[in-house]
Amino acid sequence: MNKNLISHRICDGVNFNAIKDTRFKTERISVNMFLPLDEKTAAKNAILPFLLSKSCKKYPDLTKLNRRLSELYGATIHCDVSKIGDVQALTISGIFLDDRYALEDDKVSENMTKLICDLIFEPLLVDGTFSKYNIEQEKRQLVELIDSEYNDKRVFAKLRCEQLMCKNERFGISRFGKREEVLALTPEVVYSAWQNALETAKIEIMALGDINIDATAEVFRQAFLNVKRKNVADCETEIVKSADKVSEYKDIMDVSQSKLVLGFRTKFAQNDKEVMATRVMAALYGATPNSKLFLNVREKLSLCYYCSARYDKSKGIMMVQSGVEKENIEKAKLEIIKQLEEIKKGNFQDSELEAIKKSLCNSFRTIGDLLSGLENLYLSQVFDDELFTPEQYVERINAVTKEQVIDAAKATTLDTVYELVSK
Amino acid sequence: MNNLKEIKNERIGDKYFEIDHSSGLKIYVYPQKGRSSTYAVIGTKYGAINTKFKYKDSEEIITVPDGIAHYLEHKLFESEDGDAFSKYAKTGASANAYTSFDTTCYLFSCTENFEESLRILLGLIQSPYFTDENVQKERGIIGQEIKMYEDEPSWKVMFNLLGAMYKNHPVKVDIAGTIESISHINPENLYECYNAFYNLNNMVLCVAGNVNPEQIIKIADQCLKPSEKRVPETIFPDEPYEIVKERVEQHFEINMPSFQLGFKEKASTKKLTAKQICETDIILNTIASGSSKLYKKLLDENLINDTFGYEYFEGTGYAAVIFSGESKDPDKAAEIIKEYVKELHETGISNEDFERAKKDIYGRNVSMLNSPENIANAMLSLYFADRELYNMVECLANTTLEDVNNRLKEQLDVSNCALSVVLPIKDKEGK
Repeated sequence: MNKNLISHRICDGVNFNAIKDTRFKTERISVNMFLPLDEKTAAKNAILPFLLSKSCKKYPDLTKLNRRLSELYGATIHCDVSKIGDVQALTISGIFLDDRYALEDDKVSENMTKLICDLIFEPLLVDGTFSKYNIEQEKRQLVELIDSEYNDKRVFAKLRCEQLMCKNERFGISRFGKREEVLALTPEVVYSAWQNALETAKIEIMALGDINIDATAEVFRQAFLNVKRKNVADCETEIVKSADKVSEYKDIMDVSQSKLVLGFRTKFAQNDKEVMATRVMAALYGATPNSKLFLNVREKLSLCYYCSARYDKSKGIMMVQSGVEKENIEKAKLEIIKQLEEIKKGNFQDSELEAIKKSLCNSFRTIGDLLSGLENLYLSQVFDDELFTPEQYVERINAVTKEQVIDAAKATTLDTVYELVSK
Repeated sequence: MNNLKEIKNERIGDKYFEIDHSSGLKIYVYPQKGRSSTYAVIGTKYGAINTKFKYKDSEEIITVPDGIAHYLEHKLFESEDGDAFSKYAKTGASANAYTSFDTTCYLFSCTENFEESLRILLGLIQSPYFTDENVQKERGIIGQEIKMYEDEPSWKVMFNLLGAMYKNHPVKVDIAGTIESISHINPENLYECYNAFYNLNNMVLCVAGNVNPEQIIKIADQCLKPSEKRVPETIFPDEPYEIVKERVEQHFEINMPSFQLGFKEKASTKKLTAKQICETDIILNTIASGSSKLYKKLLDENLINDTFGYEYFEGTGYAAVIFSGESKDPDKAAEIIKEYVKELHETGISNEDFERAKKDIYGRNVSMLNSPENIANAMLSLYFADRELYNMVECLANTTLEDVNNRLKEQLDVSNCALSVVLPIKDKEGK
């Protein structure tokens, strides 16, 4: 099984990466643009993947584009805006049936590669800029997306805690930008953001499945011939290594269940050699049904249905989330903090650590069985010095010792507590 | 004797195995070359709607509290010799379970120690251990699960719709029950339900990925205790064809309203055939996919966004087409959908839309056969619906436009649909 990544440099700051894998019924191509997250540019960058993925010169409206995708056996185009540390990532991807399963000689792979290029490089232009109608459509939908983040209180509470904790860092900026900034966008402003992204973003193209690597790379190489690449944008992330005090925030809302989110600084991030131990520590703390938080806050004290910890290595933070009764907030908070202390003191069995490592290894190996998993795994390492395969992750997880886990816990400090309290 | 049958599909080039195990359990095994992971799921045809039942050889009608199937799912993880999660911890498998309206499923995925993990799974469903203490302990946890869903507008909008469509059918009751109903759950009624429905003759095991049928048969032979063929029948109340209410609304602490529009259908206790499902898939695709005229109209009027979707919701005694999504003006969106459907009943579906939908659905059905998880879950739900995986692909190829337009006549009755909307609290205060 070859899960090795083949990389070609297309031009300065633009790489084409492919994993040839014949096990799947689909192929997957994505174009990922990385730009520094900045208050002034967040909104105009964020609208780009939504705008570009819905039309192009050849298929000037969404209906025509979707009809083409249906003819190509229900191929799909997805777009996303995400945050990797202080970097804004804009993604447009296509998932489509492998040519082996086409009922006629439709050349799905070739057609979809060209279509994805058309969407990004040959958008629909009216009088030299984006169409007013399309911009207004996407502005409305982006605003609705921002509004809907408030609907789901689990999502909202975590975002709110991150934003409060990192309010003085660029990480505290919403990946979609501010609502009012989205509303103020014009076709001209978005057009220049598009040019800027093509010319300065760090761009990683991923192609996975039973693809023709050379032919696919060539299509992208041709597309970039018409782009004047400039200096590649600097994608640095600021790491705050520890918190000197705990900040507490509270919102009161008309909800049935209260939410509690604790934000920690983990000291270790990105290329630090302690990252793997921090990952194991966070998993032991709260990532599986055998973790400290699950076994104690949920199973022993029956305080909640969910209580979990998630480590973000690109930013060096760990977020703990739970949903509890209003009168149990304090009790849950104390127990959550206590369980991290237990790890710091080394109060866990070797068998517990082994179980967590096994569980992490299982999830990395499972990732290797999914095109989306492999794509995400490599994209999550875009800013790392070294690129690991799932098996290399497994080796490194297994090498983590109890002492390293204890040290990672000791290096972790509580920064922010956010409570969303029911009325 | 275990009966092993191979099922092949030339078009896709895949095959899987069907096993009638001597214990009474039906087993499906779908080996996938070159995979390192395996996904296994065992399910019983028993879910939230099975709250009233009786045995053939008895007159007594047994009624149990709402939410008990889900409670049972939580409790089955415990057995006298410890809980299943701690056993899985030794194998590294990632395990979970879920309860739906008409099934309860237990699953794991793993990349090593498969056989040991499968033993744990088969042990889990055969070793109930309910005590006053451990049942009591779960009440706080499930109570918080119920409260979490109470705050989820996307969940509430669906149950409000079911309440507006169904007068008597238990499908309208929340899967986890209520804080009040779960207070009546105790070891006795948990055992009653367990003994009734966790009978191997009422269950199916589906495994996909890095696996072969011989392995599964060996472990099944070792671990399964044969069940007596005695599964009670669920008693459903009579459900009228008509909906209960045309519109329901609820206000939440949200900024983005959303809706579900349901067209209630005549439903029997028999699920639909593969052919009927294919026809409905095509109908819904032509009506509401991104290629459709309706989709374009709703977008042009700023009434939907990427969250717009549709589903065919069906089970024992219930069936409905549901359109859903976020919308700044749910009532207007619903109005436009209804008008479009009315028009379509007059014009019928065009051949161009029909052919395009067929290609689209074919591609998606084949793509679905990528991951072990999708395959095993699909085999499980198809088994309980009396349908077959590859038959769905073949049926599609043989469906004609005439069939589809005939089926359309039986579906999407505009005079029998209900709208559920969730709105921001601030809109209520403004009124």
